[in-house]
Formats: sequence, C-alpha cells, structure tokens
Amino acid sequence: MIFVKNLYKSFGKLEVLKGIDCHIREKEVVVVIGPSGSGKSTFLRCLNKLEEPTSGEIIVDGIPLNSEVNVNAIRREVGMVFQRFNLFPHMTAIQNIVLAPEIVRKTNKTEAQKIGLELLEKVGLSDKANEYPDRLSGGQQQRVAIARALAMKPKIMLFDETTSALDPEMVGEVLAVMKDLAREGMTMVAVTHEMGFAREVGDRVIFMDEGIIMEEGEPNEMFAHPKNPRMQAFLSKIL
Amino acid sequence: MDLNWKSAIDSIPILNKAALLTLELTAGAVAIGVVIGLFMALARLSKLKLVRAGAIAYIDFFRGTPLLVQIFLVYFLIPKFLHWETLPNNYQYIAGILAMGLNSGAYIAEIFRAGIQSIDRGQSEAARSLGMSQSQSLRYVILPQAFKRVIPPLGNEFIALLKDSSLLSIIAIQELFYSAKIVAGRTYQPIPMYIAAALYYLIMTQLITQWVAYMERRLGKNDLR
Repeated sequence: MIFVKNLYKSFGKLEVLKGIDCHIREKEVVVVIGPSGSGKSTFLRCLNKLEEPTSGEIIVDGIPLNSEVNVNAIRREVGMVFQRFNLFPHMTAIQNIVLAPEIVRKTNKTEAQKIGLELLEKVGLSDKANEYPDRLSGGQQQRVAIARALAMKPKIMLFDETTSALDPEMVGEVLAVMKDLAREGMTMVAVTHEMGFAREVGDRVIFMDEGIIMEEGEPNEMFAHPKNPRMQAFLSKIL
Repeated sequence: MDLNWKSAIDSIPILNKAALLTLELTAGAVAIGVVIGLFMALARLSKLKLVRAGAIAYIDFFRGTPLLVQIFLVYFLIPKFLHWETLPNNYQYIAGILAMGLNSGAYIAEIFRAGIQSIDRGQSEAARSLGMSQSQSLRYVILPQAFKRVIPPLGNEFIALLKDSSLLSIIAIQELFYSAKIVAGRTYQPIPMYIAAALYYLIMTQLITQWVAYMERRLGKNDLR
C-alpha cells in the first residue's frame, strides 16, 4: 500500500531523514516510535506530501508522489490526524466533517450530513454535532478530527502524536477510537508514545532515531527483546 | 471673538448634501480598495516570484507616495492614456474614487496579508490533508477566519479613508471640506464653518466605528475568547 525507498529530507542544512526504506501493507497497523527529533513526524508528513522529500521515492496506493498534479488526489485517500487537532474553529463539529466530502468529493449535502452524523456516533459524539470546537474538550476535539478525516473514506490513516496534546484522562477515549479503527482493518501509520496502544493493536513497530529506522518488528517481541542499543536505552526511559 | 453661527446653520442643507457625497466617495473607494487589497495580499503571498514582486512594487508605490500626488497623477494620466480630447462630465468623481481606491488597496493588502498569516499553519495543513486545493483551503478555511481578525484594522483604514477624502477637494469635487471652504469664503465666517465640517466628519467616523464594533460582535459570537 505504501512503498518508501531511500527517503531523504533536509530543512536547510539540517538533515532530518537519512534514507528511509519501508513497506506498509494493506490493513497493517504500523506504530512509529522514537525519541523527539528522530524524524518520525517528518516521515509521516512526507507520506501525504505535507513535506516535500529532498530525494527518494514514495508510492502510495500505486501512485508515485512526484508531481504537484496528483497531490490532492493522494491526500483524498490518506487521512491525517494532528497533534493539535486543527479543527476549523469557525465551523461546528458537523460542518468540520462535511466540508471536505462536499467540496472535494462532491458528495451531496444530505448524504454528507448522514455520513457525518454516523461518524460522530462512531466516535461517541452524536450530541455534539452543532457545537463549535471551542466548546469541546481536547479529547472530544480530537475525536471530531478523526471523524473529519474518516469522512473522506480514506484508504490509509496517518496519526501524528494524536494524544500528546491531551490531558491524561482524555488519552483513553481517543485511543479507544483508534483501536476500533485498527480492528476494523484500516491501514494505519501512527506516531505515538503510547506503548500500550502499540502492543495491543500494532502489527509492527518501527523504531526511528537520527533520521533512520534503527529497528522494526512485532511489538511484543520488540519490547521484550530489543536488539538495538538505542532502542534499549529509549525503552528503559519510557517504560 | 465674535462668531456668527447663522451662516453655518443656514448652510446645513449644503453640508448635508456634501457629507452624503463624502460617504459615497468613501464607499466607492472602500469597494475598490477591498478588492485590490485582497488580490494584492494573495499576490504578495504567492509562490511565484514575479507575482510577488509586482504586488510589493504596487504596495510600495501607493504607500510611499502622497495621496495628494496620486490624485493628480490619476486625474491627469487617465485622459492621456485614453486619448481623451475633452474630459467627460463628472470625470473628477471617477478619477477621485479611483485614486483613493488604488491608494487604500495598498494598505488593505497589508492588512489582509497580516490577517492571512496570523492563521495557524495547522489550519491549511488540515485543509490540504483532506484533499482541498489551495484555493479551496483559502476560501473555506483561511479567509473566513482571517476576515474576522482584520475587522479592527480595516475599520481604521475606512476611517482614514473617509477623512482623506477631503483631499479630493483639490480636483474640485464638492465634498464636505470643499463645500465648507466655499461657504466660509462667501460668508467670511471660516471658524463656524470649519467647526461644522469637523462635527460632520466626527459623526461619520463615529458611524464607521459603531459599524465596526457591531461587525466584530456579530462575527465573534462563536468565540469564547
């Protein structure tokens, strides 16, 4: 589903990604972990071209990400959820969700509304359809953001530290929604510090440091017997 | 000091008419200025170097030279370019509104640019990640938020524009200041006349202030901040 070959990314003189190779299969749930500054988020943002790779090849759903022409077409199929939610503050929850289906997919209003309400129910927020983001808690906002991304019926979902900006008591409700998605067979790439999530639903863990993939493997095996010394050091700090 | 207020009171119908013209001139200039301003702000933020350079040149010129000079330039340049032998009736109004609109377009461009740039980058990233094109992201996500933020500085600009419309007296447009001056000269009572003119300007700028406050309240109703 996603092929990444020899991916490099620099910001000016700072080289953030130094040759990433990876293959993510359909319905696979991949969890990307690593210390801050290791390039995890940059890697994720390259997958829907929010960042322009310096060099290397990315193929998403059979389409190479090279020209500006197809970038919107790719992004339709790849949903993204951000650390800071990024809901549109001038729109209600339901308006946030139906906007892209209506103007990008040209779904008619009634249909979009129906899908939107179903998704709000799925994330447990049916009663908040007409609330503005300002009136929702962080966890609720993030669940609306997930519903908004799902409304485009994406084939792949990217999660960029989606629980890092939340108060601890709200992390669970967002993770629960993500776990549901994983169980339904969504192809997911999640940058996260939630090792419990990785263990429970992750098919594979990728450990990144200094812009490269240091180690990858099945979560339980990897957490129990990390081979790479950096991974060992990282785990000892967070577990 | 012996002031004769009768001349000012007698001239109320003239001043009313002149004040209305001042409002019309300002409204016309605002309309042109907002359109040019939006266009120039987007050009100023364009990825294309040439487009950006054009916008910068425009803004620098109209902010960097006096409005008075611009009024004359527009007034004399248009007939030259269009090869007019004689000036059409009421030509000064067209030239006046155009000059003021071109001028305020430069200021409004910077106001809009600041507004657009003040919107968090995450907003456009979220919009783009949903597959929206850049123009869809601007139209549905960025501009509605930016407009709300630029209302106060925009109000400032409209007030400045209304007051600056007095400069149009120089091309014989009978707006408020021009009319006051004429009456003052005729009656030899400049002080009451100019006090009256000042009051008229004050009332009109207050109207704009109130309108801006109303718009702010109305558009800000979804904010808890």
